[in-house]
Amino acid sequence: MFLAWKELKHNKTRFVMIAVIFVLISWLVFVLSGLGNGLSTLAASTFKTMKADYVVFEQGSKASMSKSLLSNELTAKLTEMPNVSAVSPMGTIMASAINENGAANEDKVDIAIIGIDPGSFLEPSIIEGVGLTTENMTKVIVNKTMKEKGFHLGDTFKLDGSTESLTIAGFVQNQTYNHVSAVFIPITEWRKLAFAAPGSDKGVTEPVNAIMLQGKDIDPKAINEELAGTETVTRAAAVQGMPGYKEENGTIMMMLAFLLTISAFVLGVFFYVFTMQKTNQFGIMKAIGAKNGFLGKAVVSQVFVLSLSSIIVGIILTYATAAFMPKGMPFMLETKLVLTYSIILLVISLLSSLVSVRTISKIDPLQALGRVE
Amino acid sequence: MTKGLQITGASKYYNEGMNRIPALDNVSINVQTGEFVAVVGPSGSGKSTFLSVAGALLKATEGEVILNGQDISKLSGNQLSDIRLREIGFIMQASNLVPYLNVLDQLLVVKRMSGKVTAADKAFAVKLLEELGLGAKLKSYPEELSGGEKQRTAIARALINDPHVILADEPTASLDTKRAHEVVSLIAHEVRTRHKAAIMVTHDDRMLTYCDKVYRMEDGKLSLVPAGRLV
Repeated sequence: MFLAWKELKHNKTRFVMIAVIFVLISWLVFVLSGLGNGLSTLAASTFKTMKADYVVFEQGSKASMSKSLLSNELTAKLTEMPNVSAVSPMGTIMASAINENGAANEDKVDIAIIGIDPGSFLEPSIIEGVGLTTENMTKVIVNKTMKEKGFHLGDTFKLDGSTESLTIAGFVQNQTYNHVSAVFIPITEWRKLAFAAPGSDKGVTEPVNAIMLQGKDIDPKAINEELAGTETVTRAAAVQGMPGYKEENGTIMMMLAFLLTISAFVLGVFFYVFTMQKTNQFGIMKAIGAKNGFLGKAVVSQVFVLSLSSIIVGIILTYATAAFMPKGMPFMLETKLVLTYSIILLVISLLSSLVSVRTISKIDPLQALGRVE
Repeated sequence: MTKGLQITGASKYYNEGMNRIPALDNVSINVQTGEFVAVVGPSGSGKSTFLSVAGALLKATEGEVILNGQDISKLSGNQLSDIRLREIGFIMQASNLVPYLNVLDQLLVVKRMSGKVTAADKAFAVKLLEELGLGAKLKSYPEELSGGEKQRTAIARALINDPHVILADEPTASLDTKRAHEVVSLIAHEVRTRHKAAIMVTHDDRMLTYCDKVYRMEDGKLSLVPAGRLV
């Protein structure tokens, strides 16, 4: 630490230059991961926060809600399956809402209508207003981002291309589906909206898109064998099955992976060049009795100090960026995520400094004598 | 137990193609504590190899190197590091200070290599530097020092661990006559008052008057120059 610190203080400019690069890298890593996290939340937060463990789809639907159609009669059968503690059906459609009250807000708003059984475990907790009831089927609960679009508690809105009107009974939070606000309605009302065209239910009695299961030790294979034409997957697999989710997430993850790989090389090369420049000094110190461990520790602790401070600055910059981002930007940083990427960056830089440590161990103290005969 | 540095029948060979070139050829020398010995000779004569073998930087192919009663010819790399740290003080050419350490830290880093720096170590380092006339330069960096001051810092660094042997490699190479005399007389003074065994490799015949004995190195062979024949 002694050598590391003294050198940092003496050669400020050169270390500040590396730190700037490292800060930019970590900043980019955090911003990208925040964006990725925000996007995937927007795409599937309803699914992710749902208290379901497994999802039953129609066979061949590839775990996609929009491709799957099942009969609600299965619900009763599923309840009797081993390890299943609760069962509830669900259906989704995409729609547009037109606010009837607000004269200035005639713009249509994209929404995802999610049909559930009122009072079931699929119903999210209300932050304002009241929950779904079986009495009034047109009372719905909506994500609170609808407020920003001019929708208030008690407002009635029409659905584009439909004669149905829905009334906002309550607000929920963090419920988005397919990047748009989720609107929860009783599943019987959902059926009316989803299968308005005759024959669109393909003759299935009480059609639903999927059936959600609760239960820790459910065996998906047993259910598939027992109930013909079904496909049971974990909730995580159902999230992956959402249209565009994998592609969207994959793009961000690939960028992150490349960024981390590149940063490993960039930092590694920097530290290596630094060490090479100091070959003579290290040789002198070895000649007067310094062991490899002493010099190696100096290099690694220097890299550690440099990386840690750069990462901290990067985190501060990221939060500052987040404060200035436009409201609609899907940016979401979680402490856990920030911590994970900080540790990854730190490990990468320490690993890349090991190359330099190896170089040091090969330096011959004879060089310090200035000439080797 | 014999003190100082004894080298007996040391040889060092380098392989050059098919030939085996002797850089050191059966060299023996005995330097007692308080004795200041010079080794002169043309370049390529094996002076540096000799100093490297004496300084535990290079292992001799044959022969024995006994430093303060301990045979160092069979030690491992790490043990040799320890020997260099505790038993040997190196004074190298003027540029060989660590550029980002101030004069005081140049000495303290040596202490760091063997563990913690105590207040007593620090006091000793300051005292040593004051004795060598660097009292006003404790916080100066090498780039702010003159050649003579750099070399005096190097002398202090060589003495900080109170080693038994001092090895100087061309300590006057980059100095003018006045500073060269200053530096070598300082080394001679420290060697005698602190009872070190010292060897100086030099090209500079003017400096030999400070030494007790002068050896000449030629083609890997070391021979004592009779006292009357000093130039």
